[in-house]
Amino acid sequence: MTVQAATDPAGQPVAPAAATASSDLRAPLYVAWQITNECNLACLHCIEESGPGKAFRDELSETEIFAVLAQLMDGEVPYLSFSGGEPMVHRHFFAMVEYVCGRGGQLKIETNGHYLNPENCRRLAQLGVKAVQVSLDGASRETFNRMRVRGDFDRTVAGIRSLQEAGVPVEINYSPTRFNMHEIGAAVDLAHELGAYSFYTGRTMYTGNAVKTWRLLVPTEAQYTAYFATLHAKTDEYKGRMRVYFHEMGLLEELRFRLINPAALLIVLPNGLVKLLNALPFVCGDFRRESLGDIWARFQRGWQDERVKHFVEDLASNPMRTSELHEWVTL
Amino acid sequence: MKLAKYTKFREEKFGGVLFETRSEKVYSLNPTAAAVVREIVPGANERDIVERVKARFIDDGGAIEAEVLAYLADLRQKGLLED
Repeated sequence: MTVQAATDPAGQPVAPAAATASSDLRAPLYVAWQITNECNLACLHCIEESGPGKAFRDELSETEIFAVLAQLMDGEVPYLSFSGGEPMVHRHFFAMVEYVCGRGGQLKIETNGHYLNPENCRRLAQLGVKAVQVSLDGASRETFNRMRVRGDFDRTVAGIRSLQEAGVPVEINYSPTRFNMHEIGAAVDLAHELGAYSFYTGRTMYTGNAVKTWRLLVPTEAQYTAYFATLHAKTDEYKGRMRVYFHEMGLLEELRFRLINPAALLIVLPNGLVKLLNALPFVCGDFRRESLGDIWARFQRGWQDERVKHFVEDLASNPMRTSELHEWVTL
Repeated sequence: MKLAKYTKFREEKFGGVLFETRSEKVYSLNPTAAAVVREIVPGANERDIVERVKARFIDDGGAIEAEVLAYLADLRQKGLLED
């Protein structure tokens, strides 16, 4: 016999090691659940078009939510995230967190940080969330508040400090635009000062609210070049202290990679529909009607569907097709 | 000995996977590596793990003990295991 050391990963988050395809797995490794489309903010770039009054009319009921969570935990899905909209405005948010953590699931919360008061942070710490990822798209009030309509930079920073004081691991997410890119170095520094262990960024996508605001948002390629150069430098500067993680490749390259190497990841919408990927319009399941096992099988078939391949290749000549991501296509 | 706080194990037909959720790295395990990790989960010590893996697999060349210990060291080095 040979006891083989754990195979090194392929270098992509949630991608099985090179020798193992997601189709070899009996269930997803990661479920990213947008638990509501309701949000207290109306951000210029929001890919989900979330905002006040934007909850889907058909979002899952309490009974349905906990039935899905039970399936995910019974299926040994090791890692979940709750996002939105703003997940912390969901009326069952803490009950959902308690359920997942209580059953041993590792849970990340993706939030705009406006509800991270000291009491909520202590509660998240007690419940044992793996991490809270806070969107911090600027190192100053001016840029942050411009991007995050109705948002408050100081309140967000105070929320991150409350997380740190409560002992909750913090991640920062940063969406670049033409008017906040110059602050990326300062933002990485700020994230470290606030105690974050990871910093995520990439390219802002032309979809959701960004379709209407693109002229205000879209950075030039020269800006992106400088942006990623700064990030490379910051990666080195913070090596061993904070992980700076960024997607430098464009969406088309990433989708071509995903066609060959699907991540073991399901995206669940507030109404229980399941998408192949956030950056694709294709729906491959419905938790209201199907089991996790059935959805996982459809997910695998979905990545082989010619419509998916055609959509990805069409992006090469028409990158603006990402504006159609909310016009769902059921596979 | 136990899996690190942010490391999750799941058995699969081909063996198993270890998922380090902070870095979001996934490690695929062959059946024997999965057998080792299965013993770590309830908290077995090194000696018990070696004995249990020996009982489960044919140890023709007598190499199991060294391989298991090397594997445990590798898991520690990757931050997937803590004592």
